[in-house]
Amino acid sequence: MMDLIKDWRLHLLVLGVVLITEAIGTIRIEIGPGVIMLLPMLFAIVIGLLLFFTPLVKEKQSKHAEPIITLSVTLLIAKIGVTIGPGLTDLIAAGPALLLQEVGNFGTIFLALPIAVLLFNMKREAIGMTHSVGREPNLGLIYDKYGFESPEGKGVTTVYIFGTVFGAMFYGLIAGFLASFTPLHPLSLAMAAGVGSGSMMAAAVGSLVGLYPELEPQIVAFAGASNLLTYSTGLFVSMFIALPMTEKLYTIFKKWKGGEEKKNEKSA
Amino acid sequence: MKNLHEYFLLMFVVGSVAYVGNVIGDGMFSLQSMAGMLILILIAGLGQLLSKLIPLNVPSVVYVIAIGIVASLPQTPWGESVSVFTNEINLLSIATPILAYAGIAIGRSWTDFVTMGWKAMVVSTCVLFGTLIGSAVIAQIVLTFQGII
Repeated sequence: MMDLIKDWRLHLLVLGVVLITEAIGTIRIEIGPGVIMLLPMLFAIVIGLLLFFTPLVKEKQSKHAEPIITLSVTLLIAKIGVTIGPGLTDLIAAGPALLLQEVGNFGTIFLALPIAVLLFNMKREAIGMTHSVGREPNLGLIYDKYGFESPEGKGVTTVYIFGTVFGAMFYGLIAGFLASFTPLHPLSLAMAAGVGSGSMMAAAVGSLVGLYPELEPQIVAFAGASNLLTYSTGLFVSMFIALPMTEKLYTIFKKWKGGEEKKNEKSA
Repeated sequence: MKNLHEYFLLMFVVGSVAYVGNVIGDGMFSLQSMAGMLILILIAGLGQLLSKLIPLNVPSVVYVIAIGIVASLPQTPWGESVSVFTNEINLLSIATPILAYAGIAIGRSWTDFVTMGWKAMVVSTCVLFGTLIGSAVIAQIVLTFQGII
């Protein structure tokens, strides 16, 4: 770990990015009834990525940055903890919603699986792709069950890479978008933001807090608690409910699809 | 325990970067905010310590959030001051450096990302969106039903 601490080039680059992004500040784009907020943190991802392609960042810095993300998310979690404390009773009151919305994480199966199988005619890689949001625990589960080189394994790897590159930015933009353009309440979105990834949650929460600063403590508390719930139950839910359900739906979709293909052959 | 001491050092480095961002964002420096950041580093470190001491297979973030909650409970003699100090640190100031590190790390996945194919990208986007919207709709219904929103 000493290597991580002593990588001054990396820390100075990040400090530079922070200085630049804070100097840019938040850019508000008002569209009709809503606002899209481009927050410093979103610029930070983009500038970080651009830096990777300059000689300033060597392979070593990029390698070191990865564990630092996971380790420093605990700092964010500490902040979430001290935000929850004073409003603990609010959080307990919202307990039923918090527990039930965890079921909503299956939304990926109902939305993405039909698109993958029925529309794009994907095969078993669709199971790996759509059974969950595809973060580290899910990666482990799929590799363990089907193997790294299996179609399912390749599927989950794809979603993992996509989420790694695009996830935080996507959640940052979409959470703000849904909060300003749909009837969804920022607190519902805050709970939904706890998808089991620190950086994605941070980005979504950041946008919501940017839009509704007066709700900051509740937004942070709800998202943090929901994320924690997903962290601690996510693997079991994936293993015993989501994955078997995805398998079952996959078989059903394939049967439909098979029937249709046969019909097409006959009519042709 | 050598690892723990290194963890503290690393959090101190990341915390300092976040602190600089916080000072610029707020436009002012204060001893209170500095104490706030130190408290957060301490809470994160204590969480790591607990997860090492307690032989349960629980992610360390669970301990961190638990200590954070206990540290800021208004019913405790210390809760109020912990809240006052840590309130000076914005969540976003911590998120920005983390996402800057993420941006630099992302670069390594970039070639895999661009060779992905548009269908895989559409499905992946639906995965991210489906997870969020499913939870948001259920939360909306239950919170409305409970009269919280």
